[in-house]
Amino acid sequence: MTRFFVFLKWTALLAVIASLTACGAYSNGMLNPKGFITFEERKLFFDTLALMLIVVIPVIIMSLTFVYHYRASHRTDQYKPNWSHSYFLESLWWGIPFVIILVLGILTLKKTHELDPYRPVIGHHEKPLMIQVIALPWKWLFIYPEQNIATVNYLEVPVGQQIEFWITADNAPMSAFFIPQLGSQIYAMSGMRTRLFLSADQTGDFLGMNTLFNGDGFAEMQFVTHVVTPEQMTQWVNNVKKSHDPLTDAIYTTLLTPTINDKSRSFSEAPTHLFYNVINTYQSSTGRYHPRSNGEKWIKES
Amino acid sequence: MHSVATVDHHHEHHHDTDATDVFGFWLYIMTDCILFGTLFAAFLVLNYQGMTPIGLKNYIDLQDVLLETFFLLASNFTFCLAFLSLHKKKLFNTGVWLAITFLLGASFVVLEIREFIHIANEGFRWDFNGQASSFFTLVGTHGFHVSCGLLWILITIIQLPFLKSSTNILERRMTYLGLFWNFLDIVWIFVFTVVYLMGAL
Amino acid sequence: MLTNLIFGNLTLEAIPFHNPIIMGAGLFMVLIAVGIVGLITYYRKWTYILNDWVFSVDHKKIGIMYLILAFVMLLRGFSDVVLMRSQQAIAAGAHHGYLPPEHFDQVFTAHGVIMIFFVAMPMMFALLNMAVPLQIGARDVAYPYLNSLSFWLTFVGAMLCNISLVVGDFAATGWLAYPPLSEIYYSPTAGVDYYIWSLQIAGFGTLFGGINFIATILKMRCPGMTLMKMPIFVWSVLCTMILVALAFPVLTVTLALLELDRFFGMHFFTDFAGGNSMLYINLIWVWGHPEVYILILPAFGIFSEVVATFSQKKLFGYTTMVWAIAIITLLSFIVWLHHFFTMGTGANVNAFFGIMTMLIAIPTGVKIFNWLFTMYRGQIILATPLLWVIAFFTTFAIGGMTGVMMAVPPVDFQVHNSLFLVAHFHNVIIGGVLFGFFAGIIYWFPKAFGFMLDEKWGKRSFVFWVVGFYLAFMPLYIIGLDGFMRRTYHYNNVAYQPYLLVAALGAFCVMIGILCMIIQLYVSIKNREALRDRTGDPWNGRTLEWSVASPAPLYNFAVIPTANEIDSFWYDKQRHLAEGHVHPKDLHFHPIHMPKNTPAGFVIAIFAGIAGFALVWHMLIPGIIGIVGMVAAWVGKTFSTDTDYYIDAETVKETELAHMKQMI
Repeated sequence: MTRFFVFLKWTALLAVIASLTACGAYSNGMLNPKGFITFEERKLFFDTLALMLIVVIPVIIMSLTFVYHYRASHRTDQYKPNWSHSYFLESLWWGIPFVIILVLGILTLKKTHELDPYRPVIGHHEKPLMIQVIALPWKWLFIYPEQNIATVNYLEVPVGQQIEFWITADNAPMSAFFIPQLGSQIYAMSGMRTRLFLSADQTGDFLGMNTLFNGDGFAEMQFVTHVVTPEQMTQWVNNVKKSHDPLTDAIYTTLLTPTINDKSRSFSEAPTHLFYNVINTYQSSTGRYHPRSNGEKWIKES
Repeated sequence: MHSVATVDHHHEHHHDTDATDVFGFWLYIMTDCILFGTLFAAFLVLNYQGMTPIGLKNYIDLQDVLLETFFLLASNFTFCLAFLSLHKKKLFNTGVWLAITFLLGASFVVLEIREFIHIANEGFRWDFNGQASSFFTLVGTHGFHVSCGLLWILITIIQLPFLKSSTNILERRMTYLGLFWNFLDIVWIFVFTVVYLMGAL
Repeated sequence: MLTNLIFGNLTLEAIPFHNPIIMGAGLFMVLIAVGIVGLITYYRKWTYILNDWVFSVDHKKIGIMYLILAFVMLLRGFSDVVLMRSQQAIAAGAHHGYLPPEHFDQVFTAHGVIMIFFVAMPMMFALLNMAVPLQIGARDVAYPYLNSLSFWLTFVGAMLCNISLVVGDFAATGWLAYPPLSEIYYSPTAGVDYYIWSLQIAGFGTLFGGINFIATILKMRCPGMTLMKMPIFVWSVLCTMILVALAFPVLTVTLALLELDRFFGMHFFTDFAGGNSMLYINLIWVWGHPEVYILILPAFGIFSEVVATFSQKKLFGYTTMVWAIAIITLLSFIVWLHHFFTMGTGANVNAFFGIMTMLIAIPTGVKIFNWLFTMYRGQIILATPLLWVIAFFTTFAIGGMTGVMMAVPPVDFQVHNSLFLVAHFHNVIIGGVLFGFFAGIIYWFPKAFGFMLDEKWGKRSFVFWVVGFYLAFMPLYIIGLDGFMRRTYHYNNVAYQPYLLVAALGAFCVMIGILCMIIQLYVSIKNREALRDRTGDPWNGRTLEWSVASPAPLYNFAVIPTANEIDSFWYDKQRHLAEGHVHPKDLHFHPIHMPKNTPAGFVIAIFAGIAGFALVWHMLIPGIIGIVGMVAAWVGKTFSTDTDYYIDAETVKETELAHMKQMI
């Protein structure tokens, strides 16, 4: 029985991959995992699909065969106009779905805990690389607090080490941080902090994006994640530190202005406690006007 | 003979529809319950001072609340007297008790508005923070319902002479008004418990 | 100063003269309106239209008006589809298409709002009004005047949404207007206010409808019809209306709080000063999830009726079906968090809501099997209503399946807000709700209008709709899995374009399907004598609505029937056939008590519309006029005692005899 489901699972996966490969779109998402979390999530997707097909396929087949066989123009002597009850059949279709949902429920409970974004990646015991993420209007600011550098619209991370993201937003409506091939997505909300753990298992460049619509620049709010070897990582950090291009408060204020399609850039220094200060700005504010408005509108009229 | 039968049939029909009509009003009250329930939920979520220097507890005056409660509860009692008078077909008494109910209810609203103005002038305005917004909205929505009830009482008093020949219509409408007025009393008990008593302690 | 009090923020700049698409659409709307007014004037039908339709409190007429509103708004919402699909088909890589994001964002918002609030809900109330009172053997709903008010409030809400196209803008936030994006700082224009007020007004209409139908079903069933002998459609409507009564007040409050934030600077959902956007998301989905069950449950009820009638067989497992509806109703209140698993609640909370969501699949599956086994050993007639049901089985099974898959939080972490999600909900809404409502409309059309709909064009529209649906949404499942997000006006990876071209082709097929429906209507009206339903029972039906003439007489039943079993009409017919003759109907007719038509519902709604428009633009004086007018109209009506009349026995007798002559 399990072999049949494995067969179903792989057929479905192959059909989808085939169609994607045919169009060269086999690139960004869950079907091409590059990190443990996404790999597990894809497995869960197909396991769930297989469980559901146990019910769905018979339903589709019955809906077509019954109609064909019992159509009025096909006279059968099996017409039973008042037959409307059967304990046996009822217990079948209450019972089997119940068992399937029970199995799925247990699987859900287990996997929801294992793959909880707030939980370190299973199997990784090393200290995570800490990155603070601020969703800005329509770009991403990444701060590496331990290395004291920052980047806009691109991430550089080492392969094999788990990464802990702390995520908030500033002067942007609710957004969501997502690198499909590496891990889960989670909302970014101003005045609040969410957390996300993931790890990359292979080197390469992977697409990151915002999934929660937050205005006109939403479609372009994407970034690149470079997954490199630890040695390359150290070298990159040193290069950035040497670039003498610090993230000053003045530059941060310009970043707060809504812009679309910002070029990637890096900063050799980030203000200490920038992340905390951003959250505190929202938490301690009172009164009618948005703390980032400065008496003006969010998008100034051109 | 035939006309009497028709009148009886008509009368009976009205009794049937009266029960259905009152049932519908109960359904409306249930939806109003959900409405207040949602406002309470919002209040409970937003009812914290956080990092701000002033909070709701600085502005709660339990004496005010006591007085408001007295007026509202008393108005419920006088309304019941009005309803009983109507049942005994004493329309003038009904009008008098309704007028007293109106005065008591209006006193409640006036006290509440005074309280709001006082708090707002002290700086705790509805646009100050989430706690302030939810306070003014929850208590204010109840006060708005009471004000609508006052308008309804006024219209009922005015309609008494117009409908004195159809006391069944009057009784039905007084039933609705009674349900509404009592309902607001019950909501007020929740308001002063959750907002004021729990806030002050 | 006075101009400010009258006009508020409204200026001539609010009309987007520079935008040809909008100006074209606006001109089109104006021409249609002028055309309709012109036709009515030319044929001198104003007294008829006003007295017999606009002021009507008759559920049958109100049902037809809801249907017309739904269909017109379907065309409006579908034009948004054409815009979106064509934009996404061309905006790949270097090309950015023809719709800039500011415009595209309003299009997808309007599409969602219109389809849910002004197409699906009105279509549902149309079917409820057309069928329920007749099915329970009643003369009308419990509160006919409230019924009229409900319709006109919904109509006014829809018109307010339409006006936003040419005066100002519409919300550009998505159909649920999440804050902080919908707050005044991030959305300073009138758009979100239009959204709030049109939904508030229409929402009150729906809420009153909910109260109306609960009272009708619980209090006005004919003698002998206990709850467990009602048609299953009536059960589904009862549970739906309970959902309406419990969920819509939450929507009312949530939208009101958002408006308070915008109008008075309050902080319920702002991202600063103690506001909490997560509160909005919770509240809106506490309403939003029951809302989708409000849409699907009547469709399930229709499937029960259609399957039983066209299999010529008793519905399998009536009792279980009732229990399944009840369980679905209850469970629909404890699953709302599955719409935002990714907002960062802990694993236990996520898992709880995920498992609760999966549980709903069980009673739903039970219903599907019960329908299948109603067909088993039946004698199935392949009329168009049943074709829609057959398409539903496969389509809804796939859609429901993807729903249960997304109910597993870690899977949702990958596909939330992607086109996979969009494909799922269109799958269940189109495959479940829309197919069900189409089946219901064709099924009950003869009862409402007196003639059948043309079968040939019905089958053609069915084919184009089903093929179009699959072409439009199956590609979306695939690229959604690959990380293609929703609500994007443009995308960088050109490899996705072929999928979106297929999706655009699908939308085009659906458009042909809608065209076929319009042709079907035209052909049916043209051939209405040939398609006339003379017996009142064109489908050899099982329930009471088929025991009266088509269209039903004003008073529905000359004599209130007695119903002692499920499908009492069907079994009565069998008994009469077995006895070899038809019993003469009871020829003792009595005067029938009927409610009078009243303009009050219409007038109150118009003033509500004025108030709504005024509040959008902060126009103080028109706002006061609107609110005072509403209250005055309402209070004024309560002074009136001339609210009913009697149809005399002679008229009833003549109407009934004329119907009997037709049947011979």
